[in-house]
Order: sequence, then C-alpha cells, then structure tokens
Amino acid sequence: MNEPAIQLKQLQKSFGSKEVLRGIDLDLAPGTVLGLLGANGSGKTTLIKCALGLLRPTTGSASVFGEDSWDLSAAAKERLGYVPQEVATYPWMRVRQVIAYTAAFYDKWNQPFVDELCGRWHVPLEDRVGALSTGQLQTVGIVLALGHEPDLLVLDEPVASLDPSARRQFLRTLLEMLDGRERTILFSTHITSDLERVADRVAILADGKLRFHGELDELKERVKRLRITARRELPASFAVPGALRCEVAGVHATVSVADFDQRLVADMRQTWDAEVSVHDLNLEEIFVEMHDGTIC
Amino acid sequence: MAQVNATFEINPTSGVPIYRQIVDQVHALVAGGTLQPGHMLPSVRQVARAAAVNPMTVSKAYSRLEVEGMVQRVRGQGMEVLPPGQNGTLDQRKQQFRETIEPALHRARQLGLNRTHIREVFSSLLQDQPS
Repeated sequence: MNEPAIQLKQLQKSFGSKEVLRGIDLDLAPGTVLGLLGANGSGKTTLIKCALGLLRPTTGSASVFGEDSWDLSAAAKERLGYVPQEVATYPWMRVRQVIAYTAAFYDKWNQPFVDELCGRWHVPLEDRVGALSTGQLQTVGIVLALGHEPDLLVLDEPVASLDPSARRQFLRTLLEMLDGRERTILFSTHITSDLERVADRVAILADGKLRFHGELDELKERVKRLRITARRELPASFAVPGALRCEVAGVHATVSVADFDQRLVADMRQTWDAEVSVHDLNLEEIFVEMHDGTIC
Repeated sequence: MAQVNATFEINPTSGVPIYRQIVDQVHALVAGGTLQPGHMLPSVRQVARAAAVNPMTVSKAYSRLEVEGMVQRVRGQGMEVLPPGQNGTLDQRKQQFRETIEPALHRARQLGLNRTHIREVFSSLLQDQPS
C-alpha cells in the first residue's frame, strides 16, 4: 500500500509550440502535504491537470494510486478530491441541490461532516449557485471536494478568493483532517504563509522544471542570507560558491546561498578577514531569491 | 504527573523551521525553570491546534528532543522532561560550546582586542558565574 499517491515521470506538456512542462519527476508519498509554488504562468495548473488526467501529457506519464491518470477507475476517483482554480458547477441549482447531486456519485459521503462544514463556513444553502460570490463559490467547491473524505486531496489555489479569516478556518479544517488518518494533499498557492503552516514538503516550479523539491524545513535550513563586512574593500573577483544572489558594495557584501554550511562562514572569515552574519529567510524570501536571483 | 501549561510561540512565517522553533523553546523553558524534570510537554494535538500548524511538524520537534535526551516518551501519557546533564558526551558538549564562542572571538579581534584582553574578559565573566 506504499505506492505513491501521485507519480509523475518525465512529464512533458506542450500547447502547440509552447512547452509548459519540460520533464517533471515527482513522487508524492502517502501522508505527504506538498505545497506547489511557482510564478504566474509557471505551469502549476497544467501540472495538476496532467497529474489528475484532466490533460493528456505530451510525453512522459502521470499516475494516481498506481493507475494511469488518463484512465482512472471509479475506485481511484472515489479516493480523490479536487478543487479547481475556478469551480464550475450548475448555476441554476441551489447550493443544497448541488451538494445532494454530488453526494449521489459517492458511496462514502459523510453528510454530517458536510453539514458541519457548511455551518462553520456559513455556506448559503438556499442560494442559487449562479448568484454566489467568487469566494462563496470556492467554499462550495471545497465542501464538494471534502465530502467523501478523500485519501488524496488536490487543491489548485484553494484560498485565492477567500478572506484571511475564511482562509485560516479552511487551514484548520485541513489540519484536523490530517490528524488521525493518513491523507495526502497537494496544493498550489501564492500565499507562502499558508504553505508554511500546513506543508511538510515544497516543490518550486520554474521554467517548466522543478527548481526544488524537498522538505520545507530542509529548504529553510539550506537557503540563508549572509552579510559580510570585511576590513578591506572586497575585490571585484569576490564570489561565493553556490550563491543565488550576490551584491557587493565596498567592504560590504550580501550573499544568498542555496546550500548553507557552517564551514562556508569559517572560510569566508578567513579568506576575506571579514565579519559574517547569517540570516534566516522565510519561504516568501526564498521564493523571491530563487526566482529573481542571478548567479554571481 | 505534572502537566505544565507551557505554550509555544510559533511563527510559521519565520525563516526558522517550525520544528526548530519548538525545540529551541523547550530548551529555553527548561533552562529558565518553567519546565522541570517530570513535567509533561503539551500533546502534539494541543500544540498543532493552538498554533494551526501541521501535527507532523510538532511530532518531528518532539522526536528531536527525544533523540537529544531532553525528554522521554511515556506510553499513553506523552513526553516527559528528563533531568539535565545526560545530553551528549563531554566532547560533544565541549564542541557545542566551541561553536558558540568562535564567532565571539572573531568579533573580539575585529574590535582590536589582543589575546590578553580576551583572556581578561573571559576570566572576569567566569568569576561572576556561580560555580
């Protein structure tokens, strides 16, 4: 039963001549909460859609619970919940009816849980779906995806339209669902602070490839900013191995490194006769450094 | 068994990993006497709910503390704080101390202090400490 919940192998996807994904390898082990980060247009949604079989990969493969994503069995779909970026449902139905309609497709639908979520999130059950605000619609989408308590939950920018209080409530619900039973979650977001609370792994998508994939803690421990103050002016040849970004001005330098090591600091103290301080970076800062950084 | 209302101040958007924040705060609470041998740490679930963070992260912190010898797992009850002093060999503890003072020595040289000055400061600090 230890097969990956999602597995992508050399996944490549082009739209016409535009190559969006250029060979993605990703294993999502059961019980993992993976946050997918990437700039606008980096291919997050395409990756998610290929992973779930909503788009066909150009080359390479995608599977869910060991089954080819393009040809998932009903049993696999029963264990899968998905909240798309834009929730598409039936505008003429009332919210209560959409929920009942969706419930009918699932053998194991937990109606008490759904009722509780609707109460907690003030879902307007008697309103017609077409009249809902974007945020309300997204909330309904989340309720529909959680109702059968899926083993694998995939959320594409789930909180983009939610206000801060609704976002926090949603995160608490996700965390409660993680407590007690093994569940796998993949979610893409721009809001790095949400990811920092919930995710244990993070994948950063840039230029159609995974720039980083690993533990969030490891990322925070490896990427650091060093502030260097030397006794003498730093030469033009000043360089640091593995630097993401490097700014030199006189005796001062600011360097972001992707693979921090205490020996690096000791080396720099020796080589440049400098005072070196090490600063932690949060996920947002790391993302910006990786995205905008230039090798120096 | 004493249950202490030790709560952690967790900041998810800090550059310090959440598990690290918890480990450091347990060290600080033990050093400051708030947590004493025999006290129980709050449960993983309590901490995760209060701070709205992933319970696995809290478990990871507690496992680290267990490996360090700060706490031990008591079946069905949680994590119990252990008496100090058994954390690592003498060599390991010396090494930790060395890592703490190395940057300070470097700073001293930048301030233009010589070996004699540094020894003087160090001795006077040692004298102020209760033995």
